[in-house]
Amino acid sequence: MIRRATRRIARRSRRVVRVARWEASRATGGVDRRTLLAAVAFLAVAGGVFGAGAATGTVGLDVDRDVYRVGVDPASPYADAVEGEPALTAVPIEEATLGSTVDLVVREVRGGGSGPADVFVRAVDTPKGEAAAASFREAVDAHNERLMAAESNGTAAFPVVVTLRYVSRGSALDDGRTVGDASTAGAASDADGSDDAGAAVDDGGDDGIRGDGDDVDTGAGSGTDDGDGGSNSGGSVDGDAVDGERGDDGRWFLGGGGTGDLAIPSIGGGAFGASSTGSPGSITPPFPFASLVLAFAFLVPMNFLAQAYGSSVLEERTNRRGEPLLVTPLSPAEIVAGKTLPYVAVAVAVTALIALVVGGGPISVLAVLPIAATFLAATFVGAVFARSFKELTFVTVAVSVLLTSYAFVPAIFTNVTPVALISPLTLVVFDLQGEAISVGEFLFATGPTAIAAALLFGLGLGVYREEDLFTQKPVTRKFLDALAVRLSAVGEGVRESPATGVAARLPRRARGPAAVAFLTACTIPFVFVAELLAVAVLFALPITVSIPVLLVVIAFVEEVAKSVHLYAGFERGVFARTDRVAIAVGLASGLGFFLAEKATAVVQAVGLTELYVGRAAFGSVAGVAGLSPLLLAGLFLAPLALHGVTASLSAVGARRDRTRYVLALAAATLVHAAYNVGVVSLHG
Amino acid sequence: MIAVDALEKTYGGFAAVVDSTFSVEEGEVFGIVGPNGAGKTTTLKVLAGLIEPTSGEARVAGYDSTDPAMRHHLGFLPEESPLYEEMTATSYLRFFADLYEVPRPVADERIERALDRLELDHRDRRLGDVSKGMKRKVAIARSLVNDPDVLVYDEPASGLDPVTTNSVLEFTRELRAAGKTVVFSAHNLYHVESVCDRVVIMNEGRIVARGTVEEIRERHGETTYHVYTDVPPAPASGGTEADADAVGDAEEVGDRYRTVVPSMDAVERVRGAASAAGGTVVDIRTREPSLEDVFLDLVGRPMPGRRGGGEAEGAE
Repeated sequence: MIRRATRRIARRSRRVVRVARWEASRATGGVDRRTLLAAVAFLAVAGGVFGAGAATGTVGLDVDRDVYRVGVDPASPYADAVEGEPALTAVPIEEATLGSTVDLVVREVRGGGSGPADVFVRAVDTPKGEAAAASFREAVDAHNERLMAAESNGTAAFPVVVTLRYVSRGSALDDGRTVGDASTAGAASDADGSDDAGAAVDDGGDDGIRGDGDDVDTGAGSGTDDGDGGSNSGGSVDGDAVDGERGDDGRWFLGGGGTGDLAIPSIGGGAFGASSTGSPGSITPPFPFASLVLAFAFLVPMNFLAQAYGSSVLEERTNRRGEPLLVTPLSPAEIVAGKTLPYVAVAVAVTALIALVVGGGPISVLAVLPIAATFLAATFVGAVFARSFKELTFVTVAVSVLLTSYAFVPAIFTNVTPVALISPLTLVVFDLQGEAISVGEFLFATGPTAIAAALLFGLGLGVYREEDLFTQKPVTRKFLDALAVRLSAVGEGVRESPATGVAARLPRRARGPAAVAFLTACTIPFVFVAELLAVAVLFALPITVSIPVLLVVIAFVEEVAKSVHLYAGFERGVFARTDRVAIAVGLASGLGFFLAEKATAVVQAVGLTELYVGRAAFGSVAGVAGLSPLLLAGLFLAPLALHGVTASLSAVGARRDRTRYVLALAAATLVHAAYNVGVVSLHG
Repeated sequence: MIAVDALEKTYGGFAAVVDSTFSVEEGEVFGIVGPNGAGKTTTLKVLAGLIEPTSGEARVAGYDSTDPAMRHHLGFLPEESPLYEEMTATSYLRFFADLYEVPRPVADERIERALDRLELDHRDRRLGDVSKGMKRKVAIARSLVNDPDVLVYDEPASGLDPVTTNSVLEFTRELRAAGKTVVFSAHNLYHVESVCDRVVIMNEGRIVARGTVEEIRERHGETTYHVYTDVPPAPASGGTEADADAVGDAEEVGDRYRTVVPSMDAVERVRGAASAAGGTVVDIRTREPSLEDVFLDLVGRPMPGRRGGGEAEGAE
């Protein structure tokens, strides 16, 4: 049996490779040789310039390397901080002449006691000097962060002080300000104030040597919130102190005591105490610009690849050119796999090349592949559905814009929110930043995209047949065909296709409902992606607006996912048009959705439900601790009842006509939205 | 070799083929004729496994037509033959032979033989640069790369010049001689008459006549008699109404007059009418009905692209 299966797989692989070789020769044969040579030459020159630039540090990540020279004692801990920042170059203190050989000098002056040394930082009084000082301060912050992260005792390294203050829920959250904001309270800050409504959490982040970054913002009198600041002077001199020490040729900053907006955080101080939170409008996130720009480079070739692939698929349909292929022993899946393989190979090669140039690793390549697959899958569906090259152009442009946005926009928030992980490109940014990625994060970021790509190919394959490929059916009819072809007959008097595969092993009466449930379950990745996208988009809005809109949007997306194939089944005569059949397929659809929805519990793995909007979107799988078993069982089964009822409602409309279906869908959406509001209220 | 039973195919509410039943024996050339939209191409595509029947069954070479295994035994020529124009004839045919898993030496031998027989030149020229007739020949050669038992040809000579058309028809006869089973459709009824052993005539999705060409002619057509006289025949005074009907539509042909009548009785009436007019019968010709006559009679309209219904003198 295993041998037979192996032989079958080998035969299919040979067929796929044959088609792939032919597709590759066709694709390259369709381009004039001179044009091809010119393109290769251009790419070689461009790649050479970029590669040489990358190697010599004149382009890419190295544009800000060795910009400022800093005079520092090599024995000083500040020397390590300077070494760790590419923009800074350390110069031995004895060789440092401010304004001549260095832009900034760091001196440590140790008093008579055993206390820590006072640190004096002097910068040239020019814009470059100010920039050097700012860069130095960032370097020290980053160095501190690395030291704290390396500590074996994480609790000691990142102590957390929680101050509870009860305030009314209201505008303080909506306008993005944080409860306990350092600028107003001068003390504790809120790590995730949007969630806690009154609980102010302060990440002290002090290791007992120095104050932290909060002091920079508060400007005066801080250090009190630094937990165990202890004997250390947690802050820096204030503005007056700076002015008092100003020299003719530069500015002096004192790192030993007091506060000031130009304070230098000391070595060993945690930089984890950033208090900014809320919506993007109120925070200044640390956008990883360099990594983002390089990550974007991975997306650019996908657009060209999609264009070429879409044209190739549509050419098969033009003048029925591909009809003879359908008469060969190859299955549509083998034909499509063969046609797609060269483009996947090119995507892998190009992605690996880009990764090599920009410094990405295998993670970058593995993360980009699902994006490439989704580009190809969406283009394939578009090319199968499109009736002309004009329509295909519209489709490929839409695919390019949507997928590029989906991949790139969330990645901007890489260092801000776990929502960013809905894009596989975020993994690339992580990879380029040298940050570790957990298996859960990888699966969360790539899983939905990869599954969506597979399902899109499945959708397109449903209409990769003579009846749909070579006819001028409207896109909507082809879409319904593609869904209906995956269904099995339900009810009396409808035609029953011979069952194949797993369906053949099921009892005859179970095949129809099982197919409905399975097809509904297959929509989950799309529902998930759509809901994540809604969360990402609505994340920027005030919560008073975003939550109600989100609840309705989610209800609508889920109701469409549960019912559109039911409508296709009735329209294409797969289901008998009776209320009994409608309710049966509606319940099956609801069950399929309920079971598949549980897979979304993965959102907990990456902390998405810590966000308010995330909890609203995926509330059914989060925050149920502390409830009674009865209530827990009720909460567990309530979604099943909801999905069954609303899907049946839509199905009853769908079995009549399109207008009734739309009306029933709207009613089902309202019921579902009301349920969502109830759940969110219950969860608090 | 082919068995079609109660075949139906509907597209939405449109019935393309209705309750179609026929069979084709091994080594037979079987024709399907009918006007546009009669269901010919749909029937052929069901046989080729391209279209799944709505109901009924079609078996080809012992397989259900939807069974992929059937395709190893089938060669299909669609109505149009758009090829991959960037390929040469040889590379194109080799590609298809590969898909059928034909060993390369065998494939090369078959391709060479088919191209020689079809007199295809310019085998290494890109297919985009060759004539329509050449492309058709390449498409026919493609249908043979897997050495199939059954060939399904949709309008094989459509749009070809007379020389190429004759070549294709002759090739079809050779396929029959080689034991192949051929099913093909045609608009040109002469092609069907000259090649097919048996025929079905389809109209609006239904089979309206079937059998050998002779059988169909006998069953559905009428033998007519063309009586040529040197004067316009005129019924004798006191003649019957039948006499008047028989000579009522004489047509002037050159220096003679032609009267078409359905029976020998009517011929005698024309003869009497000619005598009464002072003339005589100079010639009598018997005309058997062509398939086209039967076709026109059955479907009630002329064939597309042909002049409507007129008798061709040369066909007598």
